[in-house]
Amino acid sequence: MSEMVGKLFGWVNSRLPIANTFERHLSKHPVPSKVNFWYLFGALASVVLIIQIVSGIWLIMPYSNTEEEAFSSIEYIMRDVDYGWVIRYMHTTGASMFFAVVYLHMFRGLLYGSYQKPKELVWIFGCAIYLAMMAEGFLGYVLPYGQMSYWGAQVIISLFGAIPYIGESLELWVRGDYYISGITVSRFFALHVVALPLVLIALVFLHLVALHEVGAGNPEGVDIEEYLDDDGVPLDSVPFFPYKVLNALVGIGVFMTVFAIIMFFFPEGGGYFIEMANFEEANPLVTPEHIAPVWYYSPYYAMLRAVPDKLGGLIVMGSAVAILFVVPWLDRSRVASIRYKGIYSKVALAFFGISFLTLGYLGTVGVTEVRKTMSVICTVIYFAFFLLMPFYTKYEKTKEVPKRL
Amino acid sequence: MSIKYNLKMISKFRELIIFATLLFCVNNLFAAEGGPCKDYGECDEFKYSLNDMASLQKGASTFLNYCYGCHSLQYSRWGRVATDLQIPEDLFFENLVFDKSIKPGDLMTGSMSKEKSAQWFGVAPPDLTLVSRVRGDDWIYSYLRAYYEDSSKQYGVNNLVYPGTAMPNVLVGLQGNQKLVCKDVPVIAKNGGEKRDDSGNTITKEKCGYLKVEEGSGELTKEEFDTLIYDLTNFLVYVGEPAKATRERMGWYVIFYFLIFTALSALLYREYHKDYH
Amino acid sequence: MQEKDNTRRKVLIGLTSAVGLSGIPFAATPFIAAWNPSAKAKAAGASVKLDVSKMQYGQQIQVAWRKQPVFVIRHTKESLQSLEATLPKLADPDSDQIEELYRGINPTRSKSSEYTVIAGVCTHLGCSPKYHPEVEPKPWDASWAGGFFCPCHGSMFDMVGRVYKGVPAPTNLPVPPHFFKGSILTIGEDGGTA
Repeated sequence: MSEMVGKLFGWVNSRLPIANTFERHLSKHPVPSKVNFWYLFGALASVVLIIQIVSGIWLIMPYSNTEEEAFSSIEYIMRDVDYGWVIRYMHTTGASMFFAVVYLHMFRGLLYGSYQKPKELVWIFGCAIYLAMMAEGFLGYVLPYGQMSYWGAQVIISLFGAIPYIGESLELWVRGDYYISGITVSRFFALHVVALPLVLIALVFLHLVALHEVGAGNPEGVDIEEYLDDDGVPLDSVPFFPYKVLNALVGIGVFMTVFAIIMFFFPEGGGYFIEMANFEEANPLVTPEHIAPVWYYSPYYAMLRAVPDKLGGLIVMGSAVAILFVVPWLDRSRVASIRYKGIYSKVALAFFGISFLTLGYLGTVGVTEVRKTMSVICTVIYFAFFLLMPFYTKYEKTKEVPKRL
Repeated sequence: MSIKYNLKMISKFRELIIFATLLFCVNNLFAAEGGPCKDYGECDEFKYSLNDMASLQKGASTFLNYCYGCHSLQYSRWGRVATDLQIPEDLFFENLVFDKSIKPGDLMTGSMSKEKSAQWFGVAPPDLTLVSRVRGDDWIYSYLRAYYEDSSKQYGVNNLVYPGTAMPNVLVGLQGNQKLVCKDVPVIAKNGGEKRDDSGNTITKEKCGYLKVEEGSGELTKEEFDTLIYDLTNFLVYVGEPAKATRERMGWYVIFYFLIFTALSALLYREYHKDYH
Repeated sequence: MQEKDNTRRKVLIGLTSAVGLSGIPFAATPFIAAWNPSAKAKAAGASVKLDVSKMQYGQQIQVAWRKQPVFVIRHTKESLQSLEATLPKLADPDSDQIEELYRGINPTRSKSSEYTVIAGVCTHLGCSPKYHPEVEPKPWDASWAGGFFCPCHGSMFDMVGRVYKGVPAPTNLPVPPHFFKGSILTIGEDGGTA
């Protein structure tokens, strides 16, 4: 029996390089031997992606993408479909966890210079994934067609209107109607369910291929390719299987525990994961008291509100994301990891982290004069972190990076 | 991950935590907007108990007798309410379902036409299936007890939690007439203590805006009415998310499972980690 | 030392795999269960109740159950007696070729001796047969003793829905689960020993 399976496998393998690919990219793939928990978030992000796809497919089945039925189809899922509520909460929790994990993953990149040569393209694909995720999240949130779905869409689509000359027509074109309606919902549905997931999967694939081409980094910023053994395998590496698989498994265990706590006990996240206003059906005649996006967009929302001019706010918001793409060329440091960078980088990163978190908080609350000033200050710090980077990374005193892990 | 490394991480974020806390405090000092319970002040805290069948059943009965005449529960099905609340189906349909053509699988679409009620009240009484998720259970519990006499309003009542509400005080017969009264309250000094005059008596001043029910004007005592509203709010929490009790119960098992899984995989990881450490 | 390590590893791998794999059926349950008929489907597919006491003898009424027409006929004594006469014309008089819940209890093919409850869907291609209770010659049968005639392709059934020989329809009109409690007929459920 096993001989037959072996022969069958051989037949397939000589036509499709399964065994070779599996060894090169999974089982025997060399990974740095000493990394910390910051290096788990990439694997966790792929776990969440799978959770979102599976739960998403199951949600499409009972969901109705028409203006009349969208909202009630969500309640249908929550009540009438057996375990529908499990699948719905899995998807909403997954959305928030996706962003939490990706933000931490990106922060790891900033901490350890994961974008430095030759990993610039890995970073760029990652930024593209982030951008696609933001679009995907926005489109998905419109689908339940609650008050926040409607009014959040209203605010974001009206941003297009700020673009000079083409703004108004662009707004109309995106909406497909003179006001947000079922036409908007059904096209957002197609984008959210098919177009962007395909884009995301393609980008994740490219992200991983680019990574495997040059090899993963480590918290020390050491180049493990410098010292190889007789077979050409880096001395400071371990094969992915079983060592990194087991490491990832622990991370997944912790992650799923947190996921379960949120999903089963705080699925609305105190109104931050599913906003309270979204339990009311979209009403174009009544504006909710506070229109706030979901928590993962709040830093950019704070920036948008910090700028008095609509187009200016849009430009600032867009630049805040765009500037991420060029970080590999802004960081002129000799070393990759924050552990060996100078005091300027450490202070700058700390300020950046605090200002991003503060902006995140400010984006969730109402506007006051004090808060507006704080938003402006934090936005300035945010941009300063990037714009001053070429200078403080070049001129600071760095420490000597060790040769081996 | 070693303990030393953990401490390093904490100290790195210490400044972050301090700054964030300061910011939070500063922010609250400057907070401008009012809370969800408006003129009532802070909403009264409400703790649901979805395993208390007696409470849910009473709440369902109150709702169907006093509220369902105007407010629909359009996403909820009759038969499911009976099952979830452990009311035998025939008793439920005999006593609480007043339209005999209703079948157990039917949705609770309400007894009042939306167009007519919009004409009569100015706005159609909203569907209440999700009200506990939109407004919050604290809000509902406070709202239903915050009506007071106000001759300047259409139905002679106003509500501290929802000033200018178009809804009449349906439960006035049970609660009694509630009025806004003024009380003499102690003046509080800057250090938090009560101010006293030379002979040691507390200095008071008149403060208005307190709710007080006319003694004996309602069928129920204050405690009985509060319990009635508690049960009603409890029922609305159930109707807002019927799977809630199941969800919380299931959650314990799932978390337990993942804790075991994490512990085992940690042991396994450490065992293999010996190979290269 | 090596031996002990190996055993420890094997045990841990075994335990972790067991725990991990045991979670899979639980994780799969919501996705599989979500395909079950939802409460909406169950409500739409629920049994239909009707009071048949006001029906006239010889009358046929039609109700919808699971998007199908169901015929309820209250027989006269004469039409029940005439069932014997049409026997030779029938393809399957004892409903041997199909699954029938109440076979052999009554000539009406029901637990009731007075009423017949049958699905009004022609077993040929699904048209709705018409009720012709009159005992008189018809274009489709010179010695018609009452029954159903399907206008689409000419299939004929007797007064209790049994199919004639030599018509396009292969089998008798099916009998849905049903029971009587007093004068209330419930279609869609088998009421047990009612």
